[in-house]
Amino acid sequence: MSTELFEKRVVISGVGQSRIGRQVDRSGLQLTLDAIAAAVADAGLTLDDIDGLSMFPGGGVANLPGYANGNLYEVQDALRITTTWKQGVVEGLSLPFYGAAMAVATGQARHAVIWRTVKEGSAARHTGGRPAYGSTKPAAEGPLAWLLPIGMLSPVVQVAPYATRYMHEYGATREQLAWIPVTQRAWAALNPSAVYTKPLTVADYLDGRMISSPISLYDCDVPCDGSTALVVSAAEAAGDLRSPVRVEAMAGVVDGRPSWEQWEDMGRVGYATAAAMWARTSLRPGDVDVAQLYDGFTIECVWWLEAMGFCGTGEAGAFVEGGSRIGPGGVLPLNTWGGQLSGGRLHAAFGHTAEAVRQLRGEAGARQVPGASVAAVTNVGGYEAGAALLTRW
Amino acid sequence: MDATAGIPPDVSAETSGFWAAAAQGRLVAERCTSCEAFSFPPRGACRRCRGRAMEECEITGPGVVYSYTVNYQAWLPGLAVPFGIVLVEFPACPGVRVAGRLRGCAPEEARIGMAVEVGFEPGPGGFSIPSFVAVGA
Repeated sequence: MSTELFEKRVVISGVGQSRIGRQVDRSGLQLTLDAIAAAVADAGLTLDDIDGLSMFPGGGVANLPGYANGNLYEVQDALRITTTWKQGVVEGLSLPFYGAAMAVATGQARHAVIWRTVKEGSAARHTGGRPAYGSTKPAAEGPLAWLLPIGMLSPVVQVAPYATRYMHEYGATREQLAWIPVTQRAWAALNPSAVYTKPLTVADYLDGRMISSPISLYDCDVPCDGSTALVVSAAEAAGDLRSPVRVEAMAGVVDGRPSWEQWEDMGRVGYATAAAMWARTSLRPGDVDVAQLYDGFTIECVWWLEAMGFCGTGEAGAFVEGGSRIGPGGVLPLNTWGGQLSGGRLHAAFGHTAEAVRQLRGEAGARQVPGASVAAVTNVGGYEAGAALLTRW
Repeated sequence: MDATAGIPPDVSAETSGFWAAAAQGRLVAERCTSCEAFSFPPRGACRRCRGRAMEECEITGPGVVYSYTVNYQAWLPGLAVPFGIVLVEFPACPGVRVAGRLRGCAPEEARIGMAVEVGFEPGPGGFSIPSFVAVGA
């Protein structure tokens, strides 16, 4: 039995995105097909090479309008693809490419496409504002039964107590944490696909209306329309690929209670996932050239900065203050596409992964981090967490 | 602050006892009949020893606020804002944390570590929802 890490047998070979915007007048299925076509071409492959399909989220009724698009069966039918492996992921995603990597590493597929398509920007406009989580269902089921009926009606409200607790324990201030959205906006100005590119200042941030304290407007990711597709291929097929990127290590560990309100230590999130990921590589945090850390909210970025060891526990406020460490030219360029806070809520680290691949290939245009050879990618945190290192071929 | 606008809970075999007690103004969790550990939300299984013989136990206050938020956004039509949300733990019942609304003080007066009494108020769909009361209010 080989002790080789399974992720060493796979590469990320292609990334593709549809048009991305606050509202894009195109159906979720068409956006998905746009992204898949772009990703497959980007890999140097054709649709006839694809034998694995996977998407998030899988079946069932989504909890938010515009959340679930690009149905697995409709996409397979539209593209006339024969699959040896496919998967709709409702829960347990960990990382966008985790399941596809397992399938390819075990020979169930050679080239697998995975996609995530959102129409939440259009949906929010139709409902007159960002809608309640769960508003697509008549009653709150499962873990949501303890959240929605009392008024914890959005991920904003569900995550806000983490920020309250973190700031209480470690003394971080809003003035410090503002530098995450402010600096990511500066990155977004270098990304033609970003949703918001106009400069943002700390004063703008502090003037932003409070949504659910201490999370204010600019701490929240931007609901948008858009699709991201990734191609995961067998490493042994590298000769057929235009520009593959290696998966150095990846992990997804949930060691706390798997619901937002029951997570035991709200000041520390993602540590077990990060530790498991670092245990699979000889690389260290100081080797990371560019970080794409999940930022559904500013505080999630804080979790990963600390859990991944880019700074110490409770030190993220000081680490990001002023923006010089995480901005262009910094020691840890962070969310160089603008992240979900400015680039758009492409969700589940699909946008983060696409940007990591572009940076490692040297294809990130004006925002390129010179010589980037190691990229970190993380997803969500808490009850759904993933972390990976990708490296240049 | 009216809390009736919103989304009611789906009631399951495991949670029907909680909502029935809530309608009577009582907060109940589960307690393991073999190892005596408390558990919440109810799963019909002990989170410490994994035993399956659980009994309902009433949680009486006061509790202590582990964390909180003040929600200002009207996520649904008719949702009255702002309101405070508190995550409450009970020192005498380790393992129990219950989220609910905050009453008895301005929502902005919520603090980590503050004491609250158990309470309920009318919520969506005719259900009584946890609504903790600031001690000394």
